[in-house]
Amino acid sequence: MNEVSDQPRRERNVPPIPAMQVPASRRQTSEPHPPEPVLRTENLTIQYGRFAAVKNVTMEVSARRVTAIIGPSGCGKSTLLRAMNRMNDFVTGASVEGRLFYCGEDIYRAGFDPVELRLRIGMVFQKPNPFPKSIFKNVAWGPAINGFRGSIEELVEQALRQAALWDEVKDKLHDSAYALSGGQQQRLCIARAIAMQPDVLLMDEPCSALDPIATARIEDLIDQLKSQYTVVLVTHNMQQAARVSDRTAFMYMGELIEVGDTAVIFTMPGEQRTQDYITGRFG
Amino acid sequence: MTAHFVDLLDDLRRRSLRMASLVEDMLHESCEALLEANAGLARRILERDRDVDTEEVAVEAEVIRLLALYQPVGFDLRLLCTVLKVNNDLERIADCAVNVAERARHLDARALTSLYKDLEQMGPIVKNMLRNAVKAFGEASVDDAQRVFHDEDAVDALYGQIIRRVVADAPASPALVAAFLDALSVAKNLERIADHATNIAEDVVYLCTGKIVRHHSNA
Repeated sequence: MNEVSDQPRRERNVPPIPAMQVPASRRQTSEPHPPEPVLRTENLTIQYGRFAAVKNVTMEVSARRVTAIIGPSGCGKSTLLRAMNRMNDFVTGASVEGRLFYCGEDIYRAGFDPVELRLRIGMVFQKPNPFPKSIFKNVAWGPAINGFRGSIEELVEQALRQAALWDEVKDKLHDSAYALSGGQQQRLCIARAIAMQPDVLLMDEPCSALDPIATARIEDLIDQLKSQYTVVLVTHNMQQAARVSDRTAFMYMGELIEVGDTAVIFTMPGEQRTQDYITGRFG
Repeated sequence: MTAHFVDLLDDLRRRSLRMASLVEDMLHESCEALLEANAGLARRILERDRDVDTEEVAVEAEVIRLLALYQPVGFDLRLLCTVLKVNNDLERIADCAVNVAERARHLDARALTSLYKDLEQMGPIVKNMLRNAVKAFGEASVDDAQRVFHDEDAVDALYGQIIRRVVADAPASPALVAAFLDALSVAKNLERIADHATNIAEDVVYLCTGKIVRHHSNA
């Protein structure tokens, strides 16, 4: 009989149990060979007047990965995102301390051209904001005014295909962008950003104004885009962060509490505050 | 909504612990039935097994419901996964306790003096393992889980010893072959209960630390 053996049925060689409390230091849980960081902050502090919205944040954003930034309202996540392509320059009273590197270059150093930076780092906002023009012109406008040489038709088609919108609009390219649904408008805005052939896409709650079906399409799109682009996503939707991101950063009251692989953050976060937030205990 | 979910989690955990307590009682009584050759006790254990089966299905359904409706993460997710796995182990332990009780109805262990002594030793260790595993689960205590791992070696050693005795002694006592097989079956079921208790302890380690220590030697 198989069940009778002279040896114990199985050997268990249980290793020493790791301590229950993960060290309080901010963990940078990562892949064995993470890609080079495209963006890196060093002790970054951003103030609106005397109020510090982002406090001493040091983190890296890896190339061709989706990094989600989560945290309760007012934690500084959108401020941090906007700092990555210097959109905060337009906010009166905003000031920046520390450093923020894009491909090794400090984007806040004197003489750095923010316009050039925004060509490399595109942004998609919470509410779709197409131009009051045709679908075609929404995508073609940016490359055209920036001296694009080549077939603008091909560029528009490629961008719309990458944004998973081409099949829905190919027969009405010269209709108003306002005729599109909310989800289509948001994908058009993503196509508009892609048409500039950026390295990085910053997305500030891109699905918050969309229904679940449109949200699912944008999430699928983000998953496809990461093969070519680095994506930084701010979201209030934790399930969305868990679904689409490779790495997750949790911010609270301006501080970066924890950043790590998304699978780890959502199963075994190192910090109690992260645990409390993701399980809805606060925030 | 979150407070409501926390209450539901607490209820589920308490329910799982009540089931664990029931299974602990079954194991205790099956060992008593074995040592006392108590047929009445054995019948009662069979009846309790039906309660455990019903409860196992109810707990599993509740875990699935909470996973579907609340999509928990972090500790809450680990707790639900642990409850689901512990639930399965508890049901299997109850089945093993039933097997021991059924054998107890026929087995005259006193006819097998040396084997009887080994079984007498094995029962309390296995009961202690289950007690510590349930305590570890109830209190989310890695220390109690560690005690379970340490005891498993003693159970395995006794089980191996019983097998060697049967192999050595049975050929010389053909009239007692049935008794030897009954004793072997009891030992096997006690050893399986020890394995399930160890599974529970491993799940508690996962609950507390997020580390999966199962099959670690093969990793």
